[in-house]
Formats: sequence, C-alpha cells, structure tokens
Amino acid sequence: MSDGQQKKTIVVTRFDPDQDEAPREQSYEIPVQPGWKVLDALNFIKDEVDATLSHRWSCRMAVCGSCGMMVDGEPRLTCKDSLDQYGDTVRIAPLSNFPVIRDLVIETDGFMEKLSDVKPWIIRAKEKAVEEGPVRQSPAELEEFKQFSMCINCMLCYSACPVVANEPEFLGPAAIALGHRYSIDSRDEGAAERNEIFLGEGTVFSCSFANECSEVCPKHVDPAAAVNQAKFNAAIHWATRLVLPPPTKGDE
Amino acid sequence: MSPSTPGRTRTAPPRLPDKFPFEGRYRAYTLFDATGILYLMLGLLVLGSVWALGSGEAAWNHVQATYRSATYVIFHLIAIVAVVFVGVRFFSFFPKAQPPRIGPAKPPPEPVLLGMLYVAWIGVAGVLSIILAGGIF
Repeated sequence: MSDGQQKKTIVVTRFDPDQDEAPREQSYEIPVQPGWKVLDALNFIKDEVDATLSHRWSCRMAVCGSCGMMVDGEPRLTCKDSLDQYGDTVRIAPLSNFPVIRDLVIETDGFMEKLSDVKPWIIRAKEKAVEEGPVRQSPAELEEFKQFSMCINCMLCYSACPVVANEPEFLGPAAIALGHRYSIDSRDEGAAERNEIFLGEGTVFSCSFANECSEVCPKHVDPAAAVNQAKFNAAIHWATRLVLPPPTKGDE
Repeated sequence: MSPSTPGRTRTAPPRLPDKFPFEGRYRAYTLFDATGILYLMLGLLVLGSVWALGSGEAAWNHVQATYRSATYVIFHLIAIVAVVFVGVRFFSFFPKAQPPRIGPAKPPPEPVLLGMLYVAWIGVAGVLSIILAGGIF
C-alpha cells in the first residue's frame, strides 16, 4: 500500500450478544481503492483488519437484497453505493426497525412471516388443466403489475417506514406491495381474499403515506403506490361486500 | 446423539430511523401529520360556531367578534398555510395511489388528474368563499 493512498474512517456499529449489553461503535481507518463500493470497505475490514465483523452480503450487484444497512443514517444497499459519494467518515449501522442479532446482521423472521401473510401466489378458483394450455397474459396486463414484482426483499423500505418504527406489527410496504402485485395480476382470482386480509388491523390502512419506502427503494418498485392502491381496492371491496355478501363455498 | 437445540440468540432491540422525526425527508412527513392538530382545533372552532349560531344572535355576534381578534386571525392564517401544504403534498401523491384500472376504465394521465384535482379544489374553495362572504344567499 502506498502512503499516498486515500483513506477513510468507517465507523461500524458492533454488537456481540455474548459480550455487549448494547450496540457500540467501532472505528476503522482503512485504505480505499477507486471504484470501491461500501460493501468493499466492509469486506476489507473483515478480511484484513477484524475478522469478527459480521455482515450479510451475496450477489454484489443489487439483486439479492442481502446487504441492506444504514449508511450515514440512510437505508442503502452497500453493494450498490460507491464509497466516493460519502465523506471521509462513513457510519454504517444495521437496518433500523429490526432487532439486531450481531453487528450488522438483523433478524428477519418477522419480515418473512409478513410476506407469507399476504398469500403471495396465484390463486385460481379452478385450476386450468394442463392440456388446455397456459393461462395467457398480454404485455399490457403484465405492465400493470410488473414494477411491483421487482422487489428484492432488501427491507430498506421497512427500515425507512415511520409506521413500522412505531407499530412493529404493521404488515409493511414490501409485503403489501407483494400482495397487491398478485391481486392485480390478470391470472389471479384471489383479490377478494387478499382484500379481506387488507381490511384487518395493522395492514394497508395503518399506512400514513410518508412515501419513505418509495424514496429508499433501490429497484424503483414504488411500494407507496402499491399500498395506497391496495387501500382503494380494499375500500371498494368493503363497500361492495355491504351490498353483495361474498359467496359461500357451497354456492360455487 | 441428537443435536442440541440452542436457545434463541439475544438480540439488540430495533432502533428508530436515525433521522426520524425531524431531519431530512421526515421533517415534511412530521409536519404533514402535525397538521392534524390544526384540523382538530379548526373542527372544534366550527363546532363552537355552530353552537353559538343555535344559541342566539348575541352569542353569534360574540363569536364573530372573537374571530376578528389578532390571535384568531394569525391562527387562521397559519391554518390556511397548513391546508395548502397538506393539499399540495397529498395531491402530489394522489396519482400514484390510483389503481391501474377500475373495471375497464383506466385513470387519466397524471397531468390531467392533477389538473382536475386543483381545479376542483380552487373551484370549491372559491364558491365557499363567495357564499361565506355573502355574495350568494
């Protein structure tokens, strides 16, 4: 390493559940290479400076959603952000609004449960027989939900959401966007079931339209749009239900 | 020998977002939600006015005189700013909150939808202002 090499101070939030009462900060002054991402700095620290540092990462190209962290107070994908866009001191912390298992690793169990709560699969009243061919969908029908299918489950939206901060049981942007994605999929016939879910407590109507989820989403999913479209659909479903009760199983 | 089942790892509690509630983009959101307090106060004032209206001319005149005081004028000027802020912010988000279609009908293009919202808002506010100023009825 040459003496003229650029250096940055990376301040990392550390937490060892076996030793620490509470998270603490630890600073590392490291040499940085041109073109490094924030994740490269963390990997350098782990490989060359402090092997005890724990953090999640995988694809290094912003498609897996593993490396989400708070960088200078903003939820970011560390594989995507260039280190050059930050100052000489960069603060890296685990995603806010999540329990911390260790260092920069958060507990995601609650998030996974929320995803499954919205029935994220195609629901058909009656499955089409294989010999009848595939269920066709036009490009225009695909465009209606395509952006909501781009979510990589990075949880940055949950980290930014002020409602999740104050109401941890809130279903949250990604889960609602996922459910809405299926409800507006032309192949799906389960919108009514999901609207019943969305009429429950801690779901779409807990959203106060802060729009922070859409601001931080690295894949431009615009979950705020999905959540508020889901509000509209759930409200229409509720009003329709007053006049037309849902069919019982025996009626089908 | 069956593997041991370790106990659940102790976790550090979740932290609030660093910039919440008064820094960065959260400032506008917090202000937006805080206008609810102004709306509550305005609602109470309206209720008070309706009560005075039903209590006779003296009560109504007293309420009108109260509203001419500097305190109430300043309060209502702040309320107008808050209402405009809420309206502009809400309208900016409104287009993307529309479902891709309602039955066979798609929503109009965003500039058209925004234009319709502002025309309706200004139109209704204008008509109400004229009525309250005694221009009609």
